[in-house]
Amino acid sequence: MAGWAEKILDIDLNTKTYKTYPLDMEMARSFIGGRGLGARLLWELVGPEVDPLSPENVLIFANGPLTATGYQTSNRFSVSTKSPLTGTILDANSGGFWGMQFKKAGYDVMIVRGRSEKPVWIEIKPGEVSFHDADDLWGMRVRAVTAKLGQNNNRRNVLCIGPAGENLSRIAAIMNDGERSLARGGPGAVMGSKNLKAIVVEGKDRPEIVDQERFKFLLYETRKLLAASPLTSQALPEFGTVVMMNIVNNVGALPTRNHQQSQFEGAEAISGETLTEKYLVKNASCWACPIGCTRVSRTEKVEGEGPEFETTWAFGAACGIDDLEAIIEANALCNDLGIDTISAGSTIACAMELSERGYIDSDLCFGRADLLARSVEDMAYRRDFGADMADGSLRMATKYGHPELSMSAKGMEMPAYDPRGMQGQGLLYATSNRGACHMRGNMLGLEVLGLPKLIDRFQVQGKSSFVILHQNSSASIDSLVLCKFTNMGVADEYFARMLSAVTGIQYATGDMIRVGERVWNLERLYNLREGFTRADDTLPPRLLNEALTEGPSQGWVVQLEPMLKEYYRGRGWDENGVPRPQKLAELELANL
Amino acid sequence: MPVISLYAGLRKIAGTRDLTLEGENLAGIIRGIGERYPSLVAAILDGDHLRPHIIITINGQNVDPERGLEIPLDANDHIAIFPPIAGG
Repeated sequence: MAGWAEKILDIDLNTKTYKTYPLDMEMARSFIGGRGLGARLLWELVGPEVDPLSPENVLIFANGPLTATGYQTSNRFSVSTKSPLTGTILDANSGGFWGMQFKKAGYDVMIVRGRSEKPVWIEIKPGEVSFHDADDLWGMRVRAVTAKLGQNNNRRNVLCIGPAGENLSRIAAIMNDGERSLARGGPGAVMGSKNLKAIVVEGKDRPEIVDQERFKFLLYETRKLLAASPLTSQALPEFGTVVMMNIVNNVGALPTRNHQQSQFEGAEAISGETLTEKYLVKNASCWACPIGCTRVSRTEKVEGEGPEFETTWAFGAACGIDDLEAIIEANALCNDLGIDTISAGSTIACAMELSERGYIDSDLCFGRADLLARSVEDMAYRRDFGADMADGSLRMATKYGHPELSMSAKGMEMPAYDPRGMQGQGLLYATSNRGACHMRGNMLGLEVLGLPKLIDRFQVQGKSSFVILHQNSSASIDSLVLCKFTNMGVADEYFARMLSAVTGIQYATGDMIRVGERVWNLERLYNLREGFTRADDTLPPRLLNEALTEGPSQGWVVQLEPMLKEYYRGRGWDENGVPRPQKLAELELANL
Repeated sequence: MPVISLYAGLRKIAGTRDLTLEGENLAGIIRGIGERYPSLVAAILDGDHLRPHIIITINGQNVDPERGLEIPLDANDHIAIFPPIAGG
């Protein structure tokens, strides 16, 4: 069948052997690829008895049927695993070039099982898989490993972990193509636990496409739509994602000093406008992406991709730091050490509050830009207090008796939006299957930017239906796997039409949303099987009980409970958040 | 007088970050902008309506473009105008 390579590569690191076998195409039709396929396979492979950092956990790398076809942003891929940070189901996805290359090597999915006795790296070429000793690579940073293993964007691509993954930091990322990351939830620690330093791929053939004429037409249409949209043709390329800083701050939704305030007086200094004016070198883009939102920035000490909005917020407003140079350097360091910037920055912010309140003995305090780099290094190498920070804010704050100071949901640090000023975002964080996340749907468009239409950000009633729609849509796009920015210029309908053209299977827009709903419910079932309950669909007490005292969101807390009840009903779940049998039957999940 | 802050590409068009203008309501302020910065107002308005994806806030509260621009202002109000922006 076209689109899919119809092949799974299954690697056992215990024995350093591999096998290949056909992808179950019924499964592929229902879950498409990427996050969806990853969730379905993880359901079978990793049960509640498995410790995330044990050899029994697996890493599932998956692309989608559009990957490497040349469709706009068809470069992405995902990794699915059980998260060592949250204990939930996890997937993280990334752009760049590696995903495209992996598809061209002839695989839809790679499952990595077991644990190598000694450090190892894997080399994949069409029809060939080899295992190499990685003793000389262990301890090396990401840029050095990537260069040493021969990164070449269009021919040979490197995915690896840095010291953070080797040292089993629960917020460690897997890095690809040097500076791209599968960041959230600690997949780098799972890779480190397997003594797997890197996976290098060389591909050859693009996937088969059933209807070339229709494919070319939709490619042309999509190019026109992306060029016509001021969001994808001007806003993202001109200022990058950091342009969000001023608007989110303006409406009083920028979490500041570990969510103690929601406006930061230094926002302008760390904004996209300032980044562009003072530090931008050039734009960059992923494979087959005409948007080009990536910023390459430079200070006296570093030059590299980023920082993105979330990173700039995490090391900036969250830590009370308005030194953009220090933030750029912290971002570069995170990429080189292989660590999630959101969780790293938010964990430092939590440590700063613990320190200022006298709960820990540390020189960390809000505004100390000079301590950012040291803190990131300490985390990655588990040095001194960094050993506590390496496991994320919730474990750290719990150890010192104040879990309430961790700004996380299900143990994952929240991104750059204070949900007291965006009620729907609060529901989204609380119900996100991998923990607090802005990529599992994001209410920023509706609640602040007016995309596609402005809704009242403080309104509670009726908000759950928007959240559900966004969650399902994001799960669908993550299963294709495409970049969500494409969706700012191109409607879901185009993705369905393109999927039909490539695979020959007719998908309508509704089918794609149904795929997303199926994936969301499967992830929910996974978490329930792990022992998560309604009680875990919550937010830090600060956001539920402490009203903001100033700014445009003054007086607000998150009104979670009424939204959650409405959400469960809207999802077809019972009052405890368990999918009802009828819903599971409707989604063809009843046999699980 | 209300202060108007401009963001992203609008700063380059106007050559400034902030403006102060007299005006009893938002529509009047934007007319005033048009007199001083015709190219700026052309980036904001299409006829009498906001261009798609233009965001205006008054004291941090979004102006709903569907409700029009006849919104009364106080002297101390802060108006923020953003061109189409995206990210997250």
